[in-house]
Amino acid sequence: MHTLITYIDIDLFTALQVVLLGFIGGILSGFIGSGGAFFMTPGMMNLGVDGVISVASNITHKFGKAMVGSRKHAAAGNVDKKLAAYMLITAVIGIQIAVAINSHLFKGGGGSHGAGGSAGANLYISLVFATILSAVAVSMLRDVLKSRGNGEESGGPSQKIAEFFSRLNLPPVIYFSVADTKISLWVLMAGGISTGYLAGTIGVGGFIGVPAMIYVFGVPTAVATGTELFLALFMGAYGALSYAYQGFVDIRLTMLLYLGSLVGIHLGVYGVKVVNERYIRIVTSLIILLCVFSRIIAMPVYLRQLGLVSYEAGYDRYFNMGSKFFLFASGISGAAVILLKVVGAYRQRRKIQKTLLVTKKPESKMVESMKAA
Amino acid sequence: MALVMISSLYQGGREALAQTLADKIHWPMLTREELQEQAKQQGIKVGRLEVSMIKGPSFAEKLAREKKLYLAFLTATLCEKALEGNLVYYGRAGHFLLPGVSHRLRVGLTAPLDVRIQRTAKLLNMRPEQAESYLIQLDEDMAKWIHQVHHAAGQDPNQFDVFFNLETTTVNNAAEILRRMAQLPEYQPTATSTRMLKDLHLRAQAELRLLLDERTRDVDLKVQAEHQVVTVTYPPHHDAISEAITQVLADLKDCREIQCTMAETNILWVQERFKSESESFHQILHLAQRWGAAVELMRLISPEEATQDDETVDGLSPYQFGRRECPMEDDGGVEDDDPAAMVNDGGLGAAMETLIDRGRCGGGRTVCGGYDKILERVRGDGNYALVVVGDMFLSKGHSTRTRRTRELAMSIRDRLKAPVITMEELKSRFLFGKRQAVTLAGFGVILALIYILVFRNQDPVLTFLSGPIHQQMKWLAPIVVVLLVPTIAYLYGTMTDLILKLINID
Repeated sequence: MHTLITYIDIDLFTALQVVLLGFIGGILSGFIGSGGAFFMTPGMMNLGVDGVISVASNITHKFGKAMVGSRKHAAAGNVDKKLAAYMLITAVIGIQIAVAINSHLFKGGGGSHGAGGSAGANLYISLVFATILSAVAVSMLRDVLKSRGNGEESGGPSQKIAEFFSRLNLPPVIYFSVADTKISLWVLMAGGISTGYLAGTIGVGGFIGVPAMIYVFGVPTAVATGTELFLALFMGAYGALSYAYQGFVDIRLTMLLYLGSLVGIHLGVYGVKVVNERYIRIVTSLIILLCVFSRIIAMPVYLRQLGLVSYEAGYDRYFNMGSKFFLFASGISGAAVILLKVVGAYRQRRKIQKTLLVTKKPESKMVESMKAA
Repeated sequence: MALVMISSLYQGGREALAQTLADKIHWPMLTREELQEQAKQQGIKVGRLEVSMIKGPSFAEKLAREKKLYLAFLTATLCEKALEGNLVYYGRAGHFLLPGVSHRLRVGLTAPLDVRIQRTAKLLNMRPEQAESYLIQLDEDMAKWIHQVHHAAGQDPNQFDVFFNLETTTVNNAAEILRRMAQLPEYQPTATSTRMLKDLHLRAQAELRLLLDERTRDVDLKVQAEHQVVTVTYPPHHDAISEAITQVLADLKDCREIQCTMAETNILWVQERFKSESESFHQILHLAQRWGAAVELMRLISPEEATQDDETVDGLSPYQFGRRECPMEDDGGVEDDDPAAMVNDGGLGAAMETLIDRGRCGGGRTVCGGYDKILERVRGDGNYALVVVGDMFLSKGHSTRTRRTRELAMSIRDRLKAPVITMEELKSRFLFGKRQAVTLAGFGVILALIYILVFRNQDPVLTFLSGPIHQQMKWLAPIVVVLLVPTIAYLYGTMTDLILKLINID
């Protein structure tokens, strides 16, 4: 056993908390295509689990969760496997570039999902995280609000970027049947490698991948969500293998996460089927913004550690608490609004289904065949 | 039983005129404020209703029930008082109440703005400029209220029998004129107008009961009363409500008979191809027969299909949500005498013939384009009890078809505010049979065993994954993890899927 790694004791209360973390993460994954790492990993760390074990257990759990989730999405017509294959290859290249650059820049440190690292690496990652993701979230939100303001005739996300690339007409152009869109291979490569690079730098997958597919490739929102989850299956499998080889996987945590996440992911996928795609983008951008805010609050700690600002070290606690608060707020509030919509839609459909299933014939009642007033 | 209904703007002189008149002719007087107070005592949220009407339509929609309740209560109370004898009533828009009762004398009143400003400033202790702004805002709010509640303009002279301007005419002289007018034969109750008043009273009482009873409060019911017979019309998808209606109105005073009728309405079925022998067709027909509804067929075709020989059509997906212009003209549902025109109609003609045979045809048309074309066609046509989105996007693969049909249904639902379902939802019946039960039980047992095994032997498991055994055979842990983890996910995922399908979450 790794002497430096300690595994937590799991009592019933801890187990329930892990199940709840899984449930919330599952809802977010099923609905927006992302929602594992940013929520579950710090969540487990909060319970006293070592950073690297949190990351390892979460990635291992992601493998199975993504398998179930993408199967549901595929049944709903939301997974474009061909697109996923292209994204996977290009993203892996991007990740390798990011790993090489980051390793060179931050020898002995750096990392994602909060798994240790020097203050410099943490600051760099947080800055890139905040800058890139706030730009993504704000653009998404603006796009949604603008399309609402234009009235009912404008539906769907802005196609400006996708149409720009489409007009360039750079062969070879590949047609993706499920997404029902054509993308130039060059655009695909550039988009995929950039997505992979950012994912490798700041440790997020869906937060970059889903908006990239929607706005750069012109893929419908539901397909972007489903395809991203399908991609996560392979990332999860690779991660599970790597971390298990290193001996960092706590299978107990993985199994407990499943008890919650596999229920949550079904609800999230159901939510995608019953709500307007605009709502998916709103929820995604709001969650990203709260996560960004969480990172920004943590930055003074790194600045102080680097000697760029000075204040009492005791205040670090408050910054970290604030950061944690917004992180959990993003996950919990995101899951709550999704659940609210899911429950509302479910009740509406039950109402319609009930009327369709009524078998009493009108002739059995006191009915006259008069025309309605 | 003569009725004088006096209406004016705030501080327009209605109170003074009504009081003077009542004193002259010794008739009882009823005010709007008294009616409102009684309404509040009944639990009607008058204040909230006023605010919502003034704020705007989206708020007003949510308080539609409160509005109906308020009007029903007002009408019932006013009718009750009017049936007791002569009555003088004053309010904002009293002339809209008791429609059709011929022995009402509808009196409109106005006063110069500066007079109203003076009165307001004195009453509310304001400066004249403040009083003026207040009055202007109040007049706007009142106009909105009257528009939302009575769907008319408040001070339209056509709505009155007599209109006074108190700039020159004194209140006393106006009251004297009204006293004499109230004695004219035109404003005396007749058998017909009395019966009308009684019917109004009966209708209002019935509406009140239906709106207050929890069994019927949330259903959109239309109530009529004529010759002591109350007729209640209910929407087709609430065909079980008629029994409740009968029970709620069972002991209604002065009611001879209660009749419940289902409203006539249509089911709109949107599809690319129709087949009268298909299972879907029979299901829709069965539904229409149950509801007494007609089925309207709408064949939606893509511009690509319509213009196969047209070189200007580019390779983009035709369903750009209505952005593409469709060169083919819509037929508007008119059948052509030329039989050649019927050749490639996607089965629309044959389907319509079958519906005509069954007496369920609500028409049919071909529309070229996206969902906005559908909306353009259906909006304003009114009464669809249900919209069914059938087999669409037939040229696409299964995944794209499923997703786009669902998106189309959602878009129509958002804009039409009518119940919209897909054919898949209409057909789907999840049957939890023996096979599913065995799967659930079996998977449950296996899963329980795995969890018990792992959690009862935590130390050995952790030692295997990262202890001495792992140090010796590093490759073993990843293999076990990669085999075990998806197995657990598959077992538990399948169980969850079955349970959620059982409770219709799918």
